[in-house]
Amino acid sequence: MHFFYLANFDIEAQAGPRAIFEIFGIPVNDTTVIGYAITLGLIIFARLATRNMELIPGRLQNTLEIFLEAIIDTTEGMMPGGGRKFLPFIGTIALFIGISNIIGVLPLVKNPTADLNMTLAFGLSVFIFSNAYAIKVKGLWGYLKGYAEPMFFMLPINILGELAKPISHSFRLFGNVFGGSVLIALAAYFVPGIIPVPLMAWFDIFIGLVQALIFTMLAIAYISIASE
Amino acid sequence: MVEFSPELLETIIRAAALIGAGLALIAGIGPGIGQGFAAGKAVESVARQPEARGLITTTMLVGQAVSESTGIYAFVFALILLFFIIL
Repeated sequence: MHFFYLANFDIEAQAGPRAIFEIFGIPVNDTTVIGYAITLGLIIFARLATRNMELIPGRLQNTLEIFLEAIIDTTEGMMPGGGRKFLPFIGTIALFIGISNIIGVLPLVKNPTADLNMTLAFGLSVFIFSNAYAIKVKGLWGYLKGYAEPMFFMLPINILGELAKPISHSFRLFGNVFGGSVLIALAAYFVPGIIPVPLMAWFDIFIGLVQALIFTMLAIAYISIASE
Repeated sequence: MVEFSPELLETIIRAAALIGAGLALIAGIGPGIGQGFAAGKAVESVARQPEARGLITTTMLVGQAVSESTGIYAFVFALILLFFIIL
């Protein structure tokens, strides 16, 4: 009896990280390389767009201003007065994750966010940022007292809930992007040709942009909740 | 004490991983019902207030993507069972 058996389907070649070379004995994943390429591209784009800043913006500057104003407006809606203050952090997350999620439509390019290391790094940086900001706003004692709210015996539940935030935050993004790329790879393995194309449009462009929006909005929500 | 041969143990582990991957996807029921419910409520709201369509759609998508995460966790576990436990 013959049936499709997935054991000879090489999942790591299609989705998720794979070490491609070593620097001083440390393996470097291809997702890391693509992540650095995206970072470099964003830096070059920002440099080019702000080289000759004018009151009446040119094309590049206008594009950048549209993105930044959208991010500022979103932050301002959830955290009044925080739009400009958190723009460097929130804007980095939004732009990098947005581009990382949709870059998978290019052939032979994997999404950097299909690597748990990348999303966990973002989740942990949001976690550290929100807690440090809460300590800065409320003071150390006020911050520690916030865990014993509303009753003292809620302390372990509050601590567990706080520790679960970065995990659920990063696993949501990772699961969506990785699951999408696995489904595309499976469709391309069984039905090469037409079927993977709408799947790519759906998972890489639509789901990717929605998940980047979710990740950014949850980061804003965690920061604003922690500092209340 | 029954002694199992390594091949038999490997087969048992493989079969258990495949069955577990199938069982994990039962979790897809919950997000499906929840997302459908959210979409239905959004349709009701748009019918009542068509001018707020953009805001309703954005809010619905955010809420659905958050409630989807349980299903996504189950999917990730199923993929791990399928591709990484299988020897």
